Amino acid sequence: MAEIGDRVARMNRTVTTVFLLAASAMAGDLTGKWSGTFKVDGGDHNVPQLFILKQRGKTLTGSGGPNTGEQYPIENGRIDGNRAQFELTTGEWKFTYDLKQTLPDTLNGTLKLESVNDSRNARVSLTRTKGD
Amino acid sequence: MRGLILKIHLWLAMIAGAFMVLLGVTGSIIAFEPELDRLLYPDLSRVKPGGRILSLVEIGEAASKTYGGDPVVAYLPSSSPDFPTEVILSRGVVSVNQYTGEVLGIRTRGQTVLGFTRALHVRLATGDMGRNILRWSAVAMLFSLASGVYLWWPRKRVRIRGPWWSRLFWYDLHNSFGILSLLPLLVLAATGIVIGFEDEVSSLLDKAYGRNPVHSSKTETRSESGRTGAEITPDQAVAIASAQLPGAVAYRVQMPRYGGLYVVGLAYSDNRIASERNSISIDPWDGRVVTVNLSSGLTPRERFMATNEAIHTGNIFGIPARIIVALASVVLPLQVMSGLLIWIRRTRIVRHG
Repeated sequence: MAEIGDRVARMNRTVTTVFLLAASAMAGDLTGKWSGTFKVDGGDHNVPQLFILKQRGKTLTGSGGPNTGEQYPIENGRIDGNRAQFELTTGEWKFTYDLKQTLPDTLNGTLKLESVNDSRNARVSLTRTKGD
Repeated sequence: MRGLILKIHLWLAMIAGAFMVLLGVTGSIIAFEPELDRLLYPDLSRVKPGGRILSLVEIGEAASKTYGGDPVVAYLPSSSPDFPTEVILSRGVVSVNQYTGEVLGIRTRGQTVLGFTRALHVRLATGDMGRNILRWSAVAMLFSLASGVYLWWPRKRVRIRGPWWSRLFWYDLHNSFGILSLLPLLVLAATGIVIGFEDEVSSLLDKAYGRNPVHSSKTETRSESGRTGAEITPDQAVAIASAQLPGAVAYRVQMPRYGGLYVVGLAYSDNRIASERNSISIDPWDGRVVTVNLSSGLTPRERFMATNEAIHTGNIFGIPARIIVALASVVLPLQVMSGLLIWIRRTRIVRHG
């Protein structure tokens, strides 16, 4: 009985190790230029997005906005495994991103937009811009 | 034919009636959203005019100092002598008395009752599903109005008879209110459909008139050589921008740390369609005007959509039009209800021979 328990425990450790290795392999450096769109639930358009990210350890800085001409500084940027979380304040709206690096060059996740009156959710999809 | 139209009229109300009621109730509330917002937050919305108006720098410093030294993201200068100036920080919007520098308080971000009402009106406070239901309900409303006119036309009666509990009373009320509110309701339904199907309408307009994305009368790049000395103040940025558009009033000043430039939004009080589409970007180092975006340079699609929205909200003709929008919206639930009562009583009469 104890032998079966040991075997299960060993298997669990192996599976956990494989998962951790896979996650760390997936969670590459996010430094670079990322472009894509977000779409608000119940909204019409896909809104263009462009981020210039700088990763230093578990800290994420840089800027983001709809294009290169309109960029806002990233606030409270942090990395946890393959998860990236950060905020932007454009003025009336605050954007809170919660993204996952699903592939080395792909970030997907959710975005919460908040003004003093409204709160909305959106889906975000970004890919690393080649050459950056 | 009349029997078929009556059935269509009835079925449209049965299918989409509840959503028409919701559109009417929420629409009548958000027609006066700014005024209701001020009523809900009286301490943050009113100041007593008097004395010298402080500079934006002084106002920004007062707000920032009160809230942990947070940098100013943007200013919303007061639009009326008795409204405060608002300062946008990352954590929320701070109201400051522009005469005394007193910080009135902060509004943190998140949904309010009015925000929820608007969300209900636009998307049933949900996502794509809610939005689809509502935009098709607006289509149903348009057909319901058209079929209602067809049914009203032969008798053309505008009168109310009988006691309030009688079928006759509700029948007359439905007919009279329906025809009297027809025009504003038709306009609201049609403009609402355009808003609901914005993407589809936009692509049609782009096909018809072509895309003309250039609506900058002047576009240059930010000065890189002039990065010496101190930046100009937001007050100086407003003065420079205002000189470009005499008669326009600054309603928004975006600070340069966001995008590297000051962006000053200017509005003409007499332009209710696209008054908030004028913006001037200014280099913070040398005060040079970098970009001028004018509402007069909107593309046909942008102008059409802005005009449509101004009609839908009533903003196009100011307060009187907003009152009409609110009243017509109130009639909508009344029409659905009276129609339902007529149908219920008619069914009972038929059943009882």
